[in-house]
Amino acid sequence: MLKQSLLSLALATGLSTAAHAESVNILMEGVPDTEYVKTLLPEFTKETGIEVNLEVVNYAEMHTKLVPQLLASKGSYSAIVVDFYWVGEFTKAGWLAPLDDMIKADNFDTSVYVPKMMDLVGQVDGVTYMLPFYNYAMGLLYRTDLLEDEANKAAYLEATGMELAPPKTWGEYLEQVKFFTKDGMHGVVNQGLRPDPIAMEWSNYLFANGGEFHDADWNATLNTPAGVAALEQYKTNVNEYGPLGSASFSFDEAFNVMAQGQAYSYITYNFFRTAIDDPSQSTVAGKVEIMPVPGQEPGVGASLNGAWGWAIPKSSPNPEAAWTFLKWVESKKIAKERAMQGGSPTRIDVFDDADLNAKFDYMGAMKDMLLTSHNFPVFTYTPQLVEVLGRELSLAVADEATPADALAAVEAEMNELAKKDGKQK
Amino acid sequence: MNQSKTMEAADRRFGWFMSAPSLALLLAVILFPVFWALFTSVHDYTLIAPNFDTFTGAENYISAIQDPAFRHSLGLTAFFVAAVVLFEFLLGFIVALMLNSVERFKPIYYGILLCPLLMNPVIVGLIWRMFLHPSLGIVNYLLTVVGFEPVNWLGSTQMAIWTIIMVDIWHQVSFMIVLLLAGLSAMPKEPYEAARVDGARVYQSFFYITLPLMMPVIIVTLLIRMIFAVKTYDLIYIMTRGGPGVATDLVSYSIYRTAFVSLNVGEASAMSAILLGFILLLTVYLYRYMRSLT
Amino acid sequence: MASITLDKITKVYPNDVTAVNGVSLDIRDGEFMILLGPSGCGKSTTLRMIAGLEAISSGDMLIGGRRVNDVDPADRDIAIVFQNYALYPHMTVAKNLAFGLKLRHVPASEIETRINRVAALLGIEPLLGRKPSQLSGGQRQRVALGRALVREPQAFLLDEPLSNLDATLRSSMRTELIKLHHTLGTTIVHVTHDQVEAMTMGERICIMKDGDIVQVGEPMEVYRNPANTFVASFLATPPMNLLPGRIESVGAGALVVAMDGVALPVPTAFQAAYASHSGKPVIVGLRPEDFHLAAGDAARTAPIDLVTITTEVLGPEVILVANLASGAGPEIHARMPRDFRAKIGQPLTLHFDLAEIQLFDPETTRVLPRPAHP
Repeated sequence: MLKQSLLSLALATGLSTAAHAESVNILMEGVPDTEYVKTLLPEFTKETGIEVNLEVVNYAEMHTKLVPQLLASKGSYSAIVVDFYWVGEFTKAGWLAPLDDMIKADNFDTSVYVPKMMDLVGQVDGVTYMLPFYNYAMGLLYRTDLLEDEANKAAYLEATGMELAPPKTWGEYLEQVKFFTKDGMHGVVNQGLRPDPIAMEWSNYLFANGGEFHDADWNATLNTPAGVAALEQYKTNVNEYGPLGSASFSFDEAFNVMAQGQAYSYITYNFFRTAIDDPSQSTVAGKVEIMPVPGQEPGVGASLNGAWGWAIPKSSPNPEAAWTFLKWVESKKIAKERAMQGGSPTRIDVFDDADLNAKFDYMGAMKDMLLTSHNFPVFTYTPQLVEVLGRELSLAVADEATPADALAAVEAEMNELAKKDGKQK
Repeated sequence: MNQSKTMEAADRRFGWFMSAPSLALLLAVILFPVFWALFTSVHDYTLIAPNFDTFTGAENYISAIQDPAFRHSLGLTAFFVAAVVLFEFLLGFIVALMLNSVERFKPIYYGILLCPLLMNPVIVGLIWRMFLHPSLGIVNYLLTVVGFEPVNWLGSTQMAIWTIIMVDIWHQVSFMIVLLLAGLSAMPKEPYEAARVDGARVYQSFFYITLPLMMPVIIVTLLIRMIFAVKTYDLIYIMTRGGPGVATDLVSYSIYRTAFVSLNVGEASAMSAILLGFILLLTVYLYRYMRSLT
Repeated sequence: MASITLDKITKVYPNDVTAVNGVSLDIRDGEFMILLGPSGCGKSTTLRMIAGLEAISSGDMLIGGRRVNDVDPADRDIAIVFQNYALYPHMTVAKNLAFGLKLRHVPASEIETRINRVAALLGIEPLLGRKPSQLSGGQRQRVALGRALVREPQAFLLDEPLSNLDATLRSSMRTELIKLHHTLGTTIVHVTHDQVEAMTMGERICIMKDGDIVQVGEPMEVYRNPANTFVASFLATPPMNLLPGRIESVGAGALVVAMDGVALPVPTAFQAAYASHSGKPVIVGLRPEDFHLAAGDAARTAPIDLVTITTEVLGPEVILVANLASGAGPEIHARMPRDFRAKIGQPLTLHFDLAEIQLFDPETTRVLPRPAHP
C-alpha cells in the first residue's frame, strides 16, 4: 500500500517535471544590450520550448551575486555574462566550463568574430570559455558642427597652420582640444573618477602615445616616456581644458556635459554614440560623430577594447539548455537583429551587413575602432590593477604625485601581481 | 528546603530552555561571523583559493599595518568620524532643543526629518552627485545666481572630504535629532522650574540642568553614530570611489576593495579586526564614562 | 520679607479654560497664608503666578509693593517648594542647596555658612554628600525645604509640600513648618487641599473654588462663619450637616427653623437678621460638634429626635450617624464623647446649641448674614 502510493507519487512528480518546460536562468547587467536580447526571447521559446529568465541587476551587484553561485557545486545560473575584467579571475578559479566540445559538435563557427574579441572574451590559453556578447570599445566622440564652422576653420588655420578636420593623429587632436577651449566651451570632458572610469580612459592616452601596459614577458612598461607623456596630457586636459570637477566625473556625468553641448570631445564607450543622437537626453543630436582614438600616425588606432562574453559556469544546472541558448543568441540572425536595435556587434559578418550599415552610418567607424583597438591586460588580478591604476592616476591628476612617481608605483604593483599570477617568470 | 532547591533548578532549566533559541540565533548570526573573520585573518584565504590551507599568523596584520594606504584610510576615517559626529551632534542638539519646545505640528516635523534617514544611502549618493555636478548641478547654479564662484565639490582634494561630510550630515543628522529629542522629552520638567525660581537664565538651565541630565543619552547617541560612521561605505562608493587621489578613501571602502577587488579576504579580515579593536576600545571607554555618571 | 498683593488676577489657558478668575488677595508681610481648595480650583495656578512660572493673563501682581507681572522668576526673590520636590537629580544635596546661591554670585564662604546653618536647622547634615536618588521621601522633602530656606528669600511658596509624605511624617513636618515660620517670620504662601493642614498651620486661609476666592479669613472665623455651603462642607471632618428647612413665623415676631418634624427656635439675637426670610426655604447648617447629650439652658439649646444608623468609634470620640426621627432627609453626623454607644435603629434625642446655627440661601448657597457668634 505504502509502496504503491510512493510509486504513484514518484510517477506524478516525474510526469509533472516532464510536463514543465525547461528554463534557462541568466544573470545580466541592466544595459541596452540586455534589453535587445529580452525583446527577442519569445522567438527562442517558440523555437525550442525553453523558457529564459533574465535576472537583471546593476554592475556593482553582479560580482557579489555571481561568486557564491559559481563556488557552489550546483548554482542557480544556467549561463552568465562575463565582463573582460573577470575573465582572468573566473578562469583561474576554474568556474567556467570549456565550450570547445559543444562548438565542435555543433560546428559553431567562431572565426566570424573579430579576433581581438576572441582574445578578450573568448579564449584563454587556447581554450574557448566564452562567446563574445557585445563590445564596448572606446572611441572619440567629437562635434562635427564645430569642425565645419567657417569662422572656426579660419581661426584654426591662422593659429596652427592646419586645416580643421577630424584629427588624423593624436597630436592633432590635442591641438584641437586646446583650440576649442574658449568662450565657455571646453575642448574635452574627461571621466576622472577612480578606479575604472579614469583607468579605462587613460589607457587610450597611453596607446595614443604608442605605449602598452607590458612587454611580451609581462614586464610593466608604464613608467616610460610614452606613459609619462600620456599622464601629463591627461592631467592638462582635465585641469586646463576640461570643465570644473571632471576629476571626479563618472561616465554618465561626463556624457551629460558632452550632451549639453559644453565640450568639443569626449573619449568614451561606443554605446554613447547611439545615446548622443537621442534628443531626450542630448541637445547636440546629429552634431556628434565617433571615430577610433587617433594614434601617432594616421591610420593607427589607439582605442581601448572592452567586451562582455557569454559563458556557462561549471555549476550550471542545465549546461545543454544553456548552450542551446548561447548558439541561438550568437547566431548571425539574432546577432544582427540585436545590432539593428542599436546593439554593439562582435561578429565581422554583422559589422559588414548591408542593412545594418544602411541604418547606422557610423558602423564602419565602429568596426575600425575594434580592429585597431588595444586590449587591457587580462589576468587574474585585472580588477586589482584597475584599482591601483585608478588610484595613482587620480593622485597625479590631483597634483599629489608626479606622473613618473605615480606610474612607478603602478609598475611596481603590476609586476608583483603578474608574478603572483605566474604571468611573469 | 530540598523542594525549593529542586524547584529553583527546574526554574533555571526552564529559563535556559526558553532563552536557548535566541542564544543560538545570537551565536549563529553574531559570534560565528566574528570568529570566522578572526580565523580567516590568520590564514592566506583568497577568493581565488578559498581555503584555510595556509596558516599565516600575524602576516596579514603586519602587511595591513605596513600598508601606507591603509594607515592613511584609518587616519582619514578618524577625521571623518570626528567631524560628522561632532557637527551632527551640534546641529542635531540645536534642532532637537527647538523641536522640544514646539507644541503644534510635531508629527509633520518628525515626518520631514525622517525622510532623509529612510532613504537608501545609495540613493542619497546618487541624488547629491547630481545636485553637486560642477557645471550642470543645481547647487552650483544657485551659487552662481547669487554671485559666488562655482565650487568643485567632488573634484578637488581639499573639498571632496568636506562634501562627503556635508552629505553625510544631511543624511544622518535626523538620527541624532530623533534620539536626542526622545531623551529631551523624557526629561523631568520640575527641575527646570526649580532652576528658574533659583535664578537660572535659559542658558544656565541648559548648561547646569539639560546637559548633565542628558549626558547618558548623548553618550549612547554619539557612540551609535560613531560606530555607524566608521562603517560609511555606500556614500564613498557612489560619490567618489575614494578619490580624487586618495582624498576620500575611508577605511570601510578600503577593506571592501581588499576583499572583493584584490580578492584577499584574509588581509581584509585582518583590517576589519584592527578596526573592530579600535571601535571596541572606544565603546569600552565611553561605556565606562557613562557608568561613572550614574 | 514682603507682602504679596493679587489684584483681579486672571489666568486663561490657550485652550480657553479659565483657571483663575479675577482673584484679589492681600497677603501681609510675614503672614502664613493658606490657599485651600479641591483639585482644579486654581490654587496651584495662583501660586505659580506668584512665583512667575505662569504668565498672568490679566490683573496686577505685587510683591513688596513692586509690580512683578513681567518680572522673571529669577528676579522675584521668592523660593518655592514643589509637591514632588523637584530636586536636581544629578547634584548632591549640598550642590542642590548651593545652586541658587551660586547663580546669584554669593561668595563661596557665605554659601558654605548658609548651607551648614540650614542643614543643621533641618537635621540634614549627614545627607549633604548624597544624591537625591539615595534619599527617602521625607529626606527629599527636607532638602527641598532647605533649598528654599538657604536662599533667604522674601517669601516662601509651598505647593502641597506634604502631600507625598505618610501621615506621621506629615504631622511632624506640619509642626516644623509652623516653628520655622515662627523663627524666620518670612511670608509663606502654602497651597494645600488638606483642611487639617489649613486649619493648623495658617494664620489665614484663602478658600478657592472653580477659579474664584470663596472666603478669606482666620481659621476659626472661616470655621465658625462659613461664607457658603461649599466652605461649610469643605472645612472640618466630619463637615457641617446641611439639611433642608424653612424659616417660619410663630406669632409675635418669633421665628423657628422648621425641618421635617423638628422646629428649632431662632435665638433672639438672630431674629432681626432672619426676619426678612420668614416663610422662605433655607439650608440649615448644624456642626457635628454642637450636638450634646444633655439639655442645656432651654433658650440656648433645642432637642432633636434622631434614629441611629451607625456609630464610628474613633477612640477619642464617637461619630454618630443618624437620621431625623421622621426618617427623612440626609444623614446627620454628630460628634459624641468617647463613651457614647448606640445600637443601630435606636431612637435618641440630642440637644443642639442654637447659637451655632447657620442658615444658607438654597438658591445662592450663600450664608444668610447674622450677627457674629455671641
